[in-house]
Amino acid sequence: MSAIGNVATDPAMLTLASQLLFREAHYIDSQLWDDWLALFTEDCEFWVPAWKAEHTPTANPKSELSLIYYGERGGLEDRVWRVRSGKSVASTPMPRTHHVISNIMLDEGCSAGRLVVLSNSTVHYYRTKNRITELLYGRYRHELVLQAGHWRIAKKKIVLLNDTLPAILDYYNL
Amino acid sequence: MQFERLAGLVKDRPEAGEFTVHRDIFRDPEVFELEMRHVFEATWIFLGFASQLPRPHDFINTWIGRTPVLVMRDGKGKLGGFVNSCRHRGALVAHTQAGNAKYHVCAYHGWAYGSDGRIVDIKDQKAACYPPGFDKLDHGLQPLARFADYRGLLFGSLSADVPSLDEHLGETRTFLDMVLDQSPQGVEMIPGSSSYIFKGNWKLQVENCVDLYHLTSAHPSFMEIVGRRQKGESAHGLAAIDFTAYKSPETVRGSYTFEYGHAMVWGTVADPRVRPLFMDIENVKQRVGELKARWMLNTRNLTIYPSMQFAENASLQLRVIRPLSVDRTEMTIYCLGAVGESAAAREMRLRQFEDFFNSTGMATPDDTMCYEDCQTGYGSRSIDWQQGYSRGMTAVLRGPDKYADELGVKPVTSTCSQFDMQDETVFHAGYREWLRLMRKGVA
Repeated sequence: MSAIGNVATDPAMLTLASQLLFREAHYIDSQLWDDWLALFTEDCEFWVPAWKAEHTPTANPKSELSLIYYGERGGLEDRVWRVRSGKSVASTPMPRTHHVISNIMLDEGCSAGRLVVLSNSTVHYYRTKNRITELLYGRYRHELVLQAGHWRIAKKKIVLLNDTLPAILDYYNL
Repeated sequence: MQFERLAGLVKDRPEAGEFTVHRDIFRDPEVFELEMRHVFEATWIFLGFASQLPRPHDFINTWIGRTPVLVMRDGKGKLGGFVNSCRHRGALVAHTQAGNAKYHVCAYHGWAYGSDGRIVDIKDQKAACYPPGFDKLDHGLQPLARFADYRGLLFGSLSADVPSLDEHLGETRTFLDMVLDQSPQGVEMIPGSSSYIFKGNWKLQVENCVDLYHLTSAHPSFMEIVGRRQKGESAHGLAAIDFTAYKSPETVRGSYTFEYGHAMVWGTVADPRVRPLFMDIENVKQRVGELKARWMLNTRNLTIYPSMQFAENASLQLRVIRPLSVDRTEMTIYCLGAVGESAAAREMRLRQFEDFFNSTGMATPDDTMCYEDCQTGYGSRSIDWQQGYSRGMTAVLRGPDKYADELGVKPVTSTCSQFDMQDETVFHAGYREWLRLMRKGVA
């Protein structure tokens, strides 16, 4: 218990973390990309591991393949640029996305300026061209840091559990 | 009847300047059934790398068309390929992608098999009251009719009536060697493969691998992002192949077709420093010579018909195609890397692969979505024939061009041009092989 400490058991901190995760989901589902990007630190890590065995996701993005790995926000900005460009048939027209974030808890590693947040994600999305709904679900791990008075996402890891992938899979439906 | 109908689905009259295929080959479930029997179950199919099974009793699970295939290394180190189906009621006897097991015991009635495929136990056989005829049956896992490897690339065939693997691969071996000779220890599958399913016919993927024509229209967003990075307009600094440089007059683009349906496209690269292989190029030159080293820095996309594809632009991808139905296809993709390459080269390779080749990347989803849109378009039964396969027909050479000659390779056809021609005769080989196998099958 001592390893988790007071921050992780503080209901106010759990509320703060939950609100930030809900806000992130809201920005994505509303396609408020600038607001979404502003939630991340410039040097954030955004990581979606691949799988190397039935229950083993890849563990080291420097030596093993990931589905997506960025060590900076610039990678996410490229993807947002691509969606906005209208020059990617995969994201034009955009699907309607619907993130549900649940089972939120604070994990080990929390301190006064850092929150480690675990959650489950369920993402339904509706592909308007094909008129079909698809579903992706996974586990999130966020690391939030206090930067100039604002909580920002320093790390986001998404472990996608149903990884026989559909035709489109990007930051907006993960 | 079937024979005549199939022959009528490919119009192949080069002397009249005509080549096209009927849309039924992408949309007719009956054609798909015939393809499974006469193409996928009647030719060599890539199964995996020998290096995936280094130890005795290692196994991997894979597919030949609709057939689940278990590849095992037995206790003496010999590799074998078997149908992963218990001889009793048919259940799978191995259930994971890979593993190590001396015995595979069917979970249903307990029949047990060794890693050499032989039956080792039929549960409660003594008390079974089987008639004598039962003992005369071979109860072992059914071995693939043919199983062979080319330098550690494992292939199997459900039909014994195929040429030797060496003959099947033929002239493509020179280009396979360029993949396999990336380091003195060869090439490896980097951990972290992925699979994706698209709602389209498998032949859309066969075409795409050697399709130069789609690049500027399907991937402008990727091309512009690479340009933005070069100009410092993106905060992301990853180096990638600059497709806009393809239009430079110095760039050479070519295509080759080979016996048995194989085909490739290639191109020179304006700035080879974006290639992870370039970090070690002096050693590569010493090992394989100047000419082959230069070719190893070219972009090369190669389809080993019908289901294995190498795509090499900045990084190196292996794709395996598994048709699920006439309008659904599963792709499994692997990032290949030189064994023992530097940490910097490995990391660059991974990021480039994720950027472009992953189905979560910024190029592949645009291809995949186009396949799905094509498949939807094939619903229009008022249109039977595709257009445009004749692109390049007035330029295509029978036999090798000067670049193939220099390499000592003898393709069936060659084209060589600046970027804008974007040849489509390279697709003809696959359709000719498709028709040959289908006609042979129904004859």
